[in-house]
This record gives sequence, C-alpha cells and structure tokens, in this order.
Amino acid sequence: MNVPYFEFQNAVKLLCGELSLERIAIELEHLGASRPLVLSDAVLAKIGTMAQVTDAMQAEGVSPAACFTDIPVDSSLAVVNKIAAYYREQNCDSIVAVGGGSVIDTAKGVRLVLSQDTDDILAISGVENLVRGKHIPFIVVPTTAGTGSECTGVAVIRNDANDVKMEFLSPFVEPDVAVIDPRMTLGLPAKATASTGMDALVHAIEACTCQQANPLSTAYGTAAIRMIAANVEEATRNGSNKQARFEMALASTMAGIAFSNSMVGAVHAIGHALGGVCHVPHAVAMTILLPHVMRYNLSHCADSYAALLPWLAGMDVALNTPTEKRAEAAIAFIEALGKRLNEVCELPLTLKDAGVDSAAFAKVAEFAVNDGALIVNPRAASEEQVMEILNAAY
Amino acid sequence: MWRAIQSLVVGIVLRVVHAALIELRALDSRVAQEFERFPEGLSYTIRTGHNGPVLHVLWQDGQLKRLAALPAPVCSLRIKSMPLSFQLFTGQMGMAQAYARHAFTMAGEVADVMRLARLVNLVEAYLFPKIMTRRIMTDVPETEVCFLRAYARIALGFLTCKYKLSK
Repeated sequence: MNVPYFEFQNAVKLLCGELSLERIAIELEHLGASRPLVLSDAVLAKIGTMAQVTDAMQAEGVSPAACFTDIPVDSSLAVVNKIAAYYREQNCDSIVAVGGGSVIDTAKGVRLVLSQDTDDILAISGVENLVRGKHIPFIVVPTTAGTGSECTGVAVIRNDANDVKMEFLSPFVEPDVAVIDPRMTLGLPAKATASTGMDALVHAIEACTCQQANPLSTAYGTAAIRMIAANVEEATRNGSNKQARFEMALASTMAGIAFSNSMVGAVHAIGHALGGVCHVPHAVAMTILLPHVMRYNLSHCADSYAALLPWLAGMDVALNTPTEKRAEAAIAFIEALGKRLNEVCELPLTLKDAGVDSAAFAKVAEFAVNDGALIVNPRAASEEQVMEILNAAY
Repeated sequence: MWRAIQSLVVGIVLRVVHAALIELRALDSRVAQEFERFPEGLSYTIRTGHNGPVLHVLWQDGQLKRLAALPAPVCSLRIKSMPLSFQLFTGQMGMAQAYARHAFTMAGEVADVMRLARLVNLVEAYLFPKIMTRRIMTDVPETEVCFLRAYARIALGFLTCKYKLSK
C-alpha cells in the first residue's frame, strides 16, 4: 500500500463486554460529570432499552439530570439545536447517548454546539475547521451493530431546509467513552440486525478500498470484515446468540474506526442522497447499493477488492480462486450473502423493494455528487454515472 | 527562499485558476452547467499556508468576481502549509488527494467544496498535460475543446486586464 501521507486518530475509550453498562457511572465521575442529559429515541424508551442504561447508572450513583427521547429516525439540525437549548435549560454537564446512528449523530451535533458555544450547528459546519472548545463529557451506548458512530469523527445530520444529509467532520465529535455491551443488541429485530450488519460491512469495505485507505484503517477494516462475514447470518437467524451479537458489535466499532480514518465512498454518497430525498433507511440503502457500486468501481480497484476475498470468504476459498477472479468472487460473495439474509428476514435487495420511486433518481444523483464521501471513491462519478448505478439497483 | 518562490507561484496559479474558470465557462458545457447551479452569493476564500496568497471569489450577477477581501465567505478553505499549496496548485496533487491527505480545512458546507473540486478538476484537465493529470485524478475529464483555446483566452484576458479586482 503506497500511501504518501495519512492521519489516524481514535481517542475513544472502549468499554467492551459483560456488565459494561454498570461502569458508565464511574466513567462519568472520572470525566467530572454528575448531571448527564440522556438522549435516546421513543422506541428505545418504550421497550425499556434506555431504562436498562439509566437503571445501571442510577444503581451506581449517577441519575440523569434530564432525558430527551424525541429523536426521529433521520434526525435534523433543528433537533440538534433544540436539544442543545434543552441541555442548557436543564443545567446538564454531560451527555449519554443511547441508540443507533441517528441518536448518536444527533448527540455528536449537540456536543459540538455546546462545546463551540453557539446556538446553531449550521454556523459551525465544515471539515477539520474547529478548535477544541469547551469539553462536554460524552458517553455513547450503541444499540445497533452497524453505524460505528461511537468511534467516528463525523456526524451526519439532515438539513430539513434542502433535504440534504450534512456531514460534520471534526476530531472533536468523537465521544470520550463508548460502551459495547452485548445486552444492548439482543433485542434487535432480525431485519435491523441484517441491515445494520451490512452497513458495518460497507463501512469496512469502503474504508479498505477508498483513496484515503491507509495501513492502520485497513487493519481495522479487514478484521471487521472477517468478523461480520462470520457472524452476520448467525446474529440475524439467532438473535439470542450473545457471542455472535458481541462480535457483530465489535466489528461494527472496528469498521467505524476504520472509516473514520479513511472515509467511505460512493455507496455512502448515494446512500446519503437516497436517505435525504427518498427517506430510505441508511442501512437498507447501504445493503442495496454495495454490490452495484463495487461493480461500478471494479475497473479501478480490482486488486483492492481481490484482497478482501480471504477476509470475506476465508483463506481456503481465496486460495482456490484464481487471482484474476478474486475481485469478482468478492462481489459475488456479498451478493450471495444479501440473498441469504433476504431469505431469513426479507431484507430489501432492490430500490424498488425499498419503496423508492425512480422518478426521484435525478435529484438523488444531483445530491450524491455533492456528498463529501464521493471525493475519495476509487472511481469518479458524474450524475449520469450515479443514475446508472441507481437504475442497476432498482 | 524556496518558500518565497512557492508562494509566488501559488499566487500566480490562483489568479490563473480564477481566469480559467471564467474562460472555461464559455468553452466547456460542464463548467457552464456548474455555474448555472451556483446559488447567488456563493463565495469562496482559499488561503494557502501561513500568510500565503489568498483568493476571494464571489458569484454575483452571473459573474465570478475576484475580490480583495471577503468578510464572511460561504465556504472558506485553508491549505495547511505552503508546500501542500504548492503541490495542489502545480498539478502534483489533485483535490481528492488533498482531501485524502488532510491537506486543507474547510468552514462551510461540504457540498460547496464538491462543486469547487469538480471545477478544479476540469480546470486542471485543460491547464496540465495528461501525463500529470493521470497521476492526480482517478478519472481525467476529457476536454471539450483544444486546451490551446483555453490558454489563448486566458492570455488575452490577462493582457486586457479582464480579471482585475471587483469592488
């Protein structure tokens, strides 16, 4: 791997494994916090997942100063600003986010607003443009195994004014602590398990093959690919398998560390646009687009894709596949995996199945070429080429 | 001394990039299309290294105006050092590579950087030979007219003081 220059950062302390939730209280204490604002969504509040976290905190001596659970699936800049105001009203001193990508990214946005001492997150958008600001203690508890957001330096938040999913990139959005407790994903439905698992796989694959890939991010990315390929089906079929759940959660975190340090690519650029314009859930968009974008990129990064085959399908399969056919075999493996997951839980494999109206493709393509993830994709893509990918995925 | 030379070259190339954008708008349909989609008032500041040359441009009344200063640019790019600026503006490093190597910081919306990156790629396709652009871009855009026409228009523009500062 010939990389003239790269940067790598992961400053997040990871609490991984059994009884991790019960350690949140002392971590808050070590961070100098005692009045956390707990952020989650209505579903997690209803099914008791958030209470599992707050109960564990309270049992160890820290009670939430306030809770906010009105975070939608595709959170927005307005929600971020509203929560920041609520944090100030409630005189909180830290944030604990319990949820999937939307909750965690919203929490990252709130932390940015507070640490930069502003009222509007839009005023501080950019790439690596912020100074550290005020330290707001920040702990995240992911409840899906896919987003990897607990370890990334980016927050993706929807701008309702123009339907665009905006990226806020700064090392200062990384949480202080991430809690990977297998209990948090045990209740995840099969379809969500499958789609978020595929989301993690996309993170890892794009991290290993985009123009910003570097030796360290690839080490995390390939390890994540191996764990996902080995566990995503089992976690989907048998949700109570704690070991499979835990390995998926770890893999998701490792994929997050990988792509946070090497970016993603066209799957994400188009997926963000599909989310913004057509409201396709992020993980579903990732699942559908991955093989199509890989085929589009194949002419430009066949060697990189070929190098993924041992991690996806195992060393024996890779060794028994001629070198020149390994890239194609890697794509075929992913397509077959998608089909098997579709049989288990009806995971959508086409944009049509996901309820997308093809009339929206032109707008999706226009938004996709303006998404920052596209800049480091192994192959450039114009609006016309994005349209071709969308049509292939329909 | 070397830094001063780099700074001088970067300053000249920034002026040429501005000129090329104006001229390619008339020569290349993709550049014209990008400008058609520019929102009124979109502005960029590009800073290069510590106290290096700065380019301020504003899209206003259908023109890309070069200004002496912009108090609050919509999109502000800061190349982190003069050597990086030199690499970026002399065809040794493309915009995607600059992004991948953390060569710049940006305040504003990522979408505006993407617009600029596409335009810079097109400008580079005309200004630099393919032997250079192939090394800095994954896919070099085809030129719609001969690059000499672009050079000729830019040269004429400089001779007639077409690209002077706007007020």
